Amino acid sequence: MRNKRPVQKFRSIEEMNRAVAQEIGEADFERFFRHCARYWAISPKRFPRGVFKFRNIEEAQEARRNHLLKDQDEKT
Amino acid sequence: MERDEIIRVLRAFEEAGLEYVLIGATAMGFHGVVRATEDVDLFIRATAENIDRLRSALRNVYDNDPHIDEISDTDLLGEYPAVRYFPPTGDLYFDVLTRLGEVASFETVEAETKDIQGTRIKLATPIALYRLKRGTLRAQDHADAMLLRERFNLQDEK
Repeated sequence: MRNKRPVQKFRSIEEMNRAVAQEIGEADFERFFRHCARYWAISPKRFPRGVFKFRNIEEAQEARRNHLLKDQDEKT
Repeated sequence: MERDEIIRVLRAFEEAGLEYVLIGATAMGFHGVVRATEDVDLFIRATAENIDRLRSALRNVYDNDPHIDEISDTDLLGEYPAVRYFPPTGDLYFDVLTRLGEVASFETVEAETKDIQGTRIKLATPIALYRLKRGTLRAQDHADAMLLRERFNLQDEK
């Protein structure tokens, strides 16, 4: 996509993050997938396989945190 | 998260007649509030028939991965309303929810339909996403809620 303003100035990181979220133009989902692809290229993850079950969202988030920590440990 | 893979999944959901609503960062991304994520969060209607549709859709996309059989009605309709599925492709996963606490579920989340490359997808509205995220403890959810509020000029209800 082409941003309407090629150069933008920001007073803070927070202001910059808000501006990124406000880009318009190309279909939103294409931009979303491109962003995810870049993230993956910079920070690939190794996920386990299969199905895991949780009693609540907190359990699910905790499992995700633990998995990411384990993945980082294995990379270092 | 690989673009073509998620499109195939969403198409399979539609073909299977799955009753679902996308929530989380993927739904935010489809609304134009973009941040990276590796998971696809969705509420599904909590019925045995619908869970069967989910399994069927996932089997179509993931070449009958035997792990899909572990997504069980007993769990999702009972003690485990959150099930995470890591497919064999290995670069994304699904968080499937039948309810979130006592208040949020497929039935209670305000949703809209969008067309993506000929596939109809159902996703939570920006205000519904904001409501889901603003009251949680996770820092990322607070950041997401802020982005949604600013982008869509949302107001807190009294």
